[in-house]
Amino acid sequence: MGYLATTNFFEDREFVDKWLYTIRTGELDLSWMKAGTEKVRPHVENPRRGLIYRDINLGSYGVEAIPEKVRLNRSFAPRGAEIPEGVPDAQPWVSRKSELWAHNTDGYYEEAVTRQWNATTDIPWDRLEGVELPEAAGKALSQLMTFLTEVEMIATDTPATWLPRLNPDFIEVKAFIAAQVMDEARHTEVFRKRALTTGFGLMKASPMNEMALKHLRDADSFSEMSVALHLVAEGNVLTLFRFSEYLSPTDVDKKIFRLVMQDEARHVGYGMQHFKWVLEHFPQKREILHGHLDEAENISFAGGAATELTESFIVLAGGGLKRENIEKGVRITTAFQLKQMQEHFERLEKCGMPERSSVDRSKLWAMFEMGKAAAAEAGIRF
Amino acid sequence: MAIRFPSTDYFNSLKKLMEADQARFRRLGFIDTTFGVSVTHNETSRDFVLTFEVFELKEVREVEKIDIAQVDFVIAGDAAVWRDMLENIRRNGEADAQHDLNTLAHFGEALKVSYAEPEGHDKLYRFMESIQEFFDLTSQIEVGF
Amino acid sequence: MAFFADKDYTQDQAVLDAINAVMQGNLTLHWIDANTEKVRGRASDPRRGLTYEDLDLGSYGFSSIPEFVRDEQSMVARGSEKWGRLPDMGYVVNRKSDVWSDNVTTLYEEAKTRRWAPAVDVPWAELEINPLASDLQAACAQLYTFLQECALVALDFPARWVPLINQEFIEQKSFMCSQMLDGARLLEVFRKRALYTGAGLGRASVTAEQGLKEWLWADTYPQGSLAINILLAGFMLAAYRQVAAVAPSRVDRAIMGYAMQDAARQVSYGTGALRYHLEHQPAQKAALSGYLDEAEHVMLALVGSPELLEPLIIISGGGLEGAQVKSGRESVVKFIRLVVREYLERVSAAGLDRRGNSRLPAIVDRVSL
Repeated sequence: MGYLATTNFFEDREFVDKWLYTIRTGELDLSWMKAGTEKVRPHVENPRRGLIYRDINLGSYGVEAIPEKVRLNRSFAPRGAEIPEGVPDAQPWVSRKSELWAHNTDGYYEEAVTRQWNATTDIPWDRLEGVELPEAAGKALSQLMTFLTEVEMIATDTPATWLPRLNPDFIEVKAFIAAQVMDEARHTEVFRKRALTTGFGLMKASPMNEMALKHLRDADSFSEMSVALHLVAEGNVLTLFRFSEYLSPTDVDKKIFRLVMQDEARHVGYGMQHFKWVLEHFPQKREILHGHLDEAENISFAGGAATELTESFIVLAGGGLKRENIEKGVRITTAFQLKQMQEHFERLEKCGMPERSSVDRSKLWAMFEMGKAAAAEAGIRF
Repeated sequence: MAIRFPSTDYFNSLKKLMEADQARFRRLGFIDTTFGVSVTHNETSRDFVLTFEVFELKEVREVEKIDIAQVDFVIAGDAAVWRDMLENIRRNGEADAQHDLNTLAHFGEALKVSYAEPEGHDKLYRFMESIQEFFDLTSQIEVGF
Repeated sequence: MAFFADKDYTQDQAVLDAINAVMQGNLTLHWIDANTEKVRGRASDPRRGLTYEDLDLGSYGFSSIPEFVRDEQSMVARGSEKWGRLPDMGYVVNRKSDVWSDNVTTLYEEAKTRRWAPAVDVPWAELEINPLASDLQAACAQLYTFLQECALVALDFPARWVPLINQEFIEQKSFMCSQMLDGARLLEVFRKRALYTGAGLGRASVTAEQGLKEWLWADTYPQGSLAINILLAGFMLAAYRQVAAVAPSRVDRAIMGYAMQDAARQVSYGTGALRYHLEHQPAQKAALSGYLDEAEHVMLALVGSPELLEPLIIISGGGLEGAQVKSGRESVVKFIRLVVREYLERVSAAGLDRRGNSRLPAIVDRVSL
């Protein structure tokens, strides 16, 4: 077995005898009552919001009390509890605060818990009865949904991979990641369900995007994963959701995109706050993150070459396959792609990495500059 | 007019109240279970089978004897225990900690939960809030015993 | 980095040409006649919405997942057309009967509808209106410290396995994702409850943590599921029911009411998964029984941990006075017997009769007043 407790409790006579004795006699040891832990008195700041993590952010239990390097807790003990000798090492990989911390993580988590929605009951699926989309638009919508359901599952696997690796002292981050995993499972579900209600079923896989996503899952550190997933990939997807909502052929699709958008915005919010935090508190990481962004941006660019996605977007945006439809679709899709890149660099700048917006630093920036010039020539605004 | 407990009229009254309070029960989530309620008085029992589906009580029927293989679980108890629980609900608007289903059935000493399959038994806990709030609706009706 | 894209796309002429062609309106449309089944799913019961069961259709359905998933290691959504070079994600759980349970889609849908939020669904103010005696407060703080340790392991378990399970089992993976949110919510509510009354957290439990790590680190998913989804979750469900039954406050009763719903889903999945596993892999009966011969001792580490036992006696009896402790002990003895009896019932119902092999009944028989 992967781990064996230091004692076989069936064989631990002293342990068993003490247990039986306590029950038989009622002589309680009560040493836990003298635990050397802090007594705090939380207060609900806003009764309408209930008891939130921020209300219990006090003294040794609070997030400010977490040191940059967590040296003392490597077990399953909750932060602030007394940790006796003999607890096991939970083998966390991430015990450095700046490797994962973000301002307002607890807020993002609490928001996620109260804003959980249900792909089964919160989408008015019955309104699709009798809705027949034109064949080209219907297939394009199905193809877009196929791509989205394909990529969302890796968005569950990637944060889930890191969850057990995070030191238990980072409760709020673990909770946020758990909520994100559930969000992404719901996204996988809602896009799959929508594809299977179009009448066309699922369409073609997107190999280019799958290769890109493997890069996310296989990041070397949590920070690098977060930059690639929360900031780059989900940032791009957030822009995609916004455009998709705009292009939605039915109010059911609009509702889907509005709901997924609020989840995605939360993930991007965490990603930005974390990126900012790591740049401020772990400056040595800046060059490492540049190196990771080089890869993430390369992969992000590759998404544009995934014709099954780009083309379906063009058909959906243009409303059909006629020449004029395609032309309209190309203009909207060009605007969308440039918007994605623009927002990506804006986010990096806001987080404290303005130098990325330079042809010397980023090949994607160079492509963005070229794209902008071509769009201006064609009279495309974004 | 008081509705007698136990009776199908009693459960159907709660069924109507449950339907009228959909927001409350939708918030609690799906409830999909069929279970038995057995009320014993003077060594004679009256048995009912309640079928809940989605957010509602779909059907209630009185039966000669509950076939335990056909239900998820059976909650059985003396009429006095049930009466005590329902009167407590009437007084408080909901069952207090000493009179809720979990407390009364926990060690099988006041109410007894029996089942053929443990997964059926687990449904009592999967849907506990909905089942408890269903019985708590008794606070809105007159009950006679 | 462990994985690099196969080329620098920004510098690859073929890629640039392909992008340019599309953006000039010359679409390939290679996807438009995808070789996939055309279906139109509908909600069988509009009150319930569109469930995964409604979409158990043809090549898309979970019923059509083969026992051995041999030709799928990528992220391709089940039923869509595969083409091109797809990545190998390195899944290590590729056999349906290692993870599947017939009730998993139902449980996933149930998990979503039965959502709750600790911040707003627990009547926290009650603890200020009706404060507990200091001994009870301290016992509650200790109990909730212990429960956090258990909840953390229950959270980490699905997270450890979900990335290793083949994408084809999407409904099952989704259920595991819901378990992660359940775990985070329980961690949150137990922490808030422990801290709210002013007693602070208590002491971590060496015995419980040693045992929990052994269960969490099980070698295979079926072993781990048995340990975490049946043994641990069954223990926790019984503990939640116990605390709800003797609840010192409305707050504790509300917390335990919600917690028991989450834990009951977990044991339902665990029992169903074990049954499915043994039905399809009967040879595993002996192997899993052998695993339990070694792993059941952890149950003792939990119920025998002073960090659980003593506060539970105090809470169950209502305080530290002699009569209260006596009453608490009586209640806790019943609780321990309940935990073991229900565990044996569950595994037996799933096809693994432990009644002749388990050492737990004999040791529990020694528990007396």
